[in-house]
Amino acid sequence: MQVSATHSLLPLLAVGLPLAGAVLVAPAARLGRAGRFVFLLVLAGLATGLALALVVAVVSGITPATALLRFTPQAALHLRVDAMGALYGATVSLLFLLALCYSWGYLKDDPHETRYLAFFMASHGWLLGVAWAGNLLTLLVFYELFSILAYPLIVHAETPAAIRAGTRYIVYILSGGTLVLLGVILCFFLAGDRPFTPGGVFAPGTDPALLRTAFWCLLAGFGVKAAVMPLHGWVPEVHPAAPAPFSALLSGVMVAAGSFAILRVVFEVFGAPLAATLGVLPWLQGLAALTVVLAAVLAVTEDELKRRLAWSTISQMAYVLLAVSLLAPTAVAGALAHITHHAFLKGGLFFCAGLLATGAGVHRVSAMRGLGRRMPFTMAAFTVAALGIVGVPPLSGFIGKWVMGVGLVEAGHPLYLLVLLGGALLAAMYLLPPVWLAYFSPAPETPEPAERRPVEGPRSMLLAALATAVASILLGLAAAWPGMPLSLAHRAVAAFFGGG
Amino acid sequence: MLDFRVVLAPAISLACGLLVFVLGRHDGWRATLTLSAALIKLLLILTLLPGSLEGVVYGYRAFDFPPGVGIAFRVDALGMFFALVSSTLWVLATVYAIGYMREQHERVRFFGFFALCVSTTVGIAFAANLLTLLLFYELLTICTYPLVIHDETPAALRAGRKYLAYTLCGGALILLGTVLVQHLAGSLDFGTGGLLRAAAGQPLLPLTFIALVAGFGVKACLMPLHGWLPTAMVAPTPVSALLHAVAVVKAGVFGLLRVTYDVFGVELLAGLGYMSWVAALAAFTILAGSFAALAQVNLKRRLAWSTISQLSYIVLGAALLTPLAAMAAIVHIANQAFAKITMFFVAGAIERGTGRTELHELAGLGRVMPWTMAAFTVAALSFIGVPLFAGFITKWYLSLGGLQAHAGWVVLLMLASALLNAAYWLPVVYRAWFRPPRGLAEGVKEAPLLLLVPMLVSAAYVVLLGISTRVPGMPFSLAEAAVHYVTGIGAGP
Repeated sequence: MQVSATHSLLPLLAVGLPLAGAVLVAPAARLGRAGRFVFLLVLAGLATGLALALVVAVVSGITPATALLRFTPQAALHLRVDAMGALYGATVSLLFLLALCYSWGYLKDDPHETRYLAFFMASHGWLLGVAWAGNLLTLLVFYELFSILAYPLIVHAETPAAIRAGTRYIVYILSGGTLVLLGVILCFFLAGDRPFTPGGVFAPGTDPALLRTAFWCLLAGFGVKAAVMPLHGWVPEVHPAAPAPFSALLSGVMVAAGSFAILRVVFEVFGAPLAATLGVLPWLQGLAALTVVLAAVLAVTEDELKRRLAWSTISQMAYVLLAVSLLAPTAVAGALAHITHHAFLKGGLFFCAGLLATGAGVHRVSAMRGLGRRMPFTMAAFTVAALGIVGVPPLSGFIGKWVMGVGLVEAGHPLYLLVLLGGALLAAMYLLPPVWLAYFSPAPETPEPAERRPVEGPRSMLLAALATAVASILLGLAAAWPGMPLSLAHRAVAAFFGGG
Repeated sequence: MLDFRVVLAPAISLACGLLVFVLGRHDGWRATLTLSAALIKLLLILTLLPGSLEGVVYGYRAFDFPPGVGIAFRVDALGMFFALVSSTLWVLATVYAIGYMREQHERVRFFGFFALCVSTTVGIAFAANLLTLLLFYELLTICTYPLVIHDETPAALRAGRKYLAYTLCGGALILLGTVLVQHLAGSLDFGTGGLLRAAAGQPLLPLTFIALVAGFGVKACLMPLHGWLPTAMVAPTPVSALLHAVAVVKAGVFGLLRVTYDVFGVELLAGLGYMSWVAALAAFTILAGSFAALAQVNLKRRLAWSTISQLSYIVLGAALLTPLAAMAAIVHIANQAFAKITMFFVAGAIERGTGRTELHELAGLGRVMPWTMAAFTVAALSFIGVPLFAGFITKWYLSLGGLQAHAGWVVLLMLASALLNAAYWLPVVYRAWFRPPRGLAEGVKEAPLLLLVPMLVSAAYVVLLGISTRVPGMPFSLAEAAVHYVTGIGAGP
């Protein structure tokens, strides 16, 4: 099912727009704060428009592609938008757009606004490059750039905690990146420069020992980003320290970049049949299942809201790896759709966490008592997103899990259904208590009048949070339509397993 | 092909050096003279470039020295590569030195020897036989000595003595090797793909190999022969830049490349197996140099140890004897040179602007000297080997070359070294950008243009080297021609 690629400059333009924005942030300061934000929103909006247009193109059977750069005589960088890339690219763009809007309110009076915006826009561009990378080398280049250049965003606040988190991040990411590079070099050595091909790029008879080493390196390297235990250490430290809009992106799309890359590696570099014979996937199965449950348990015991959400991300993203490691077609489709659904749900939750922190100064779950009345919109968005993560129909979170569950049974792994259900149950245990506290628990005894006023945050932030809630509802209700995540995911999976 | 330009190129710098001694009292006149000589030489070498890319070998035989062995020049792709890199950097270093050396003593001596150094470097690049190479190699030692001791402090004089002791001993070893090669092969001319090919099995071969490798290994800072380099850090910054990035150390590695490809030849070496020892030594140097760099607290000393470590990438690339590794070795001459000279320019600008030399004092400099620290950051990312920067190309080719040679450990070594580079450069970058400045005097600001422009140009080059490998005329295409020349085949899969 190899679709022939159509030459098109649209992907390049979509990657280039945010990068141009990153360069122009400093000179654009003379437009004034509002003028600069409008300018950046226009650029990010155009990139998002292009990303959505590419989804339409992919649905109508076109595969847009652009050559970027001949890196060495033997290796080229190029972009190619297939179903999986289009889906992830659109998700990335939409969430970045919302986070940028959110940043307007969040960054008020921040002395480092210029630095933040420059690296923020650059991350948008690099991440689109990851989504649409046409071969392993292109993926590596964009992946490394966005990983390393995310550092200034993480240490943005420059508090000791942020600096510590930043150091931890860079150590994890550089080690992971090194493993990825090792894997990429081995793959390049064994197969040369090949585009991602459903069914794999290696000729039969390639040295299995080297193949296994490359596979381990790539899975472990990307696993650091995907936060599969025991490589997850940076996630719960970095999320509370980073600025709220960036935490939303970290959890929503950046951790997913690791899972996304693993999908590429398993299905389009090695191919399902070869991957099954290398004996690495059973390990991944075990670790992913363990991660789903253990991270969820840790989330239940955590009181700090952003840290609890971070543990939840680790648990939720492990679903994706579980589905991949079982090589169950339907489950993989569900997992792909889950990446997008989770992005908006978790993005929304972090947006709300930021609103709670700026509006009411609340950082802990136990301090959320009575907030439902004081911050009605924030808590409404929070509730929708929380229910979505738990997997209540008809919200989007339900769809991915349902399809994954069906896929697991179909492929003969009903036992892993227990893991799925356990994860959902634990999600209810860590996300519903905050909701309950906010609405039904009486406000603290003899409160000061000042502590009963409504304290909703800035409108731009609220808008972003509510938009994610609306998106989650719509993605759930319209899940069966063409062009929606599930249909794109099915299209991608048909290529993975049909072509092999 | 006989061509007069071949001998003109070193002659321009030589004439410039002599003119500076005679007429260089006036600052403006001296600056014009040095700068125009640098530019003319660069243009002259660029006119040779199209031919070199097509595989033309230009030659010029000056005169016979001992009977039968001439002082002769030839320009093949490998020599052209070295000459192109060093003359490009000479232009930058000259501009920088003009800005840096204002109000220093003995400026005439400084600029005179500065020009002579580059003349001898081009002589090394264009040497057509081992004797010519040796001659210019020794001249280089002598011309750099006055630059090393420029400050004339006791520390500088001590460093100068140590420098002479190391490099003259190295030169003596090369002389021994040269005599042995003449004895074994009956000729010293390069360009035959291995002078000693017919001498396989001769009992003197191991001694020849040891003499030549150890001799050139001194300037290439192959451990344990590296001792002079960290000491020589007392020299003024433009000199350190020249020593580290362009002339001296690169003359050493270039000599090793000549020994590998032209004196012994890949086939003979592959049969002899000596190169695995050199590879092991280079690997040790890469790691030990990095660990030593990690332990330094002074910026220039950290740079010195980093140089020692980085040079062995080139030695390792040559020692692996595969085309891809040769590619890595040759392009790294340029990649290391541009990144390292950027860092030295930055170190000098910081010292001039703020008087700071220790690493912990660099906090917050990104806020007062943003362009300077941006150039530093680019160079640091290149050393770590982040994709799209020059260093990544080396890392990529050297790893593939290692796999090609069935030496998987090279890949691991590359990755370990990349992490070590991250460990000693990223904290500096972090401190400069994310820590508040402490105790800076009022009025400290960005470096003056004469220092800033060369710095930014070389930083831009570091990025260009990483992304424009397919642009004709960039060093990369020349390196391909050089690999083709030294191995007789293209650069691999």
